[in-house]
Amino acid sequence: MSAVRQLTSKLLRGLLRHSSLSSNEWAIAMLRELDFVESDGAAIFWAIGCLAAIFKFSVRQSCFRLGDSGRRKDLMNGIVRRALGALSGVAIAGVLAICAFGLLQLSFRFSPSFAERTPWLPWLTLIAMPIAAFILAAVALSRNRRSIAVGILLLAIPLGTHFAMHLATHASD
Amino acid sequence: VKLRVSRQTLQVLNAFLEDPPEWKHGYGISQTTGLKSGTLYPILMRLAERKLLETSWDASEIGKPPRHLYRLTAAGLQFAREGSRSRPTGRVSGAALGGMKS
Repeated sequence: MSAVRQLTSKLLRGLLRHSSLSSNEWAIAMLRELDFVESDGAAIFWAIGCLAAIFKFSVRQSCFRLGDSGRRKDLMNGIVRRALGALSGVAIAGVLAICAFGLLQLSFRFSPSFAERTPWLPWLTLIAMPIAAFILAAVALSRNRRSIAVGILLLAIPLGTHFAMHLATHASD
Repeated sequence: VKLRVSRQTLQVLNAFLEDPPEWKHGYGISQTTGLKSGTLYPILMRLAERKLLETSWDASEIGKPPRHLYRLTAAGLQFAREGSRSRPTGRVSGAALGGMKS
């Protein structure tokens, strides 16, 4: 079994542990089928689909259990609160990233020779410092404001990856 | 009672209609219908919930973990046949379900 398939299988097993009891049989069924998917690429898509299926099933079960409208309203309020928290986390991380980028651009504009003397500065200001700030903020907020922490990480991970790839591909320029 | 049946559900039902008594695997149905697992399994779960589909575990292959198998029940077979007849609209009479509502 390839490393990709092993990882996919482990992720699905992790889901199995957290899925509700009624969907467990189905989660096991999907996991078993993973062994019969031919290619690794198809196995990943199969696993992603399984995650979506279990998620849909769990949400439907939860809505079914929350039969009365009062509890359903509470659930919806909770979802809205969490979504707003995540959005504010994304916004906070976005503002911080824009500030870091702006500061770097300003420093280069006012002192062009500064860029030549400090080739490591973009790495520091665009990757190291924001990522450190994002991680610290996410850890600090993870207990009391988990949704905001998730929002920060939601933006921080693709942003950090993008900056790292951009700097790596333009390093030779 | 009229039940709304999606195009994908009809595809799944038609896959079972090809050889009704035969037990089928999830991946096999996915290959036959072209449906992804995220679409296929919720359909299978709903059909099983409504007793249109019976499930079983296939432990015949020694040394391999058992696979989940699916087959239409008598009610499921009637429902599928009605579904494939009224295919353009995807509307199926609930009589096949014994009055069950979606």
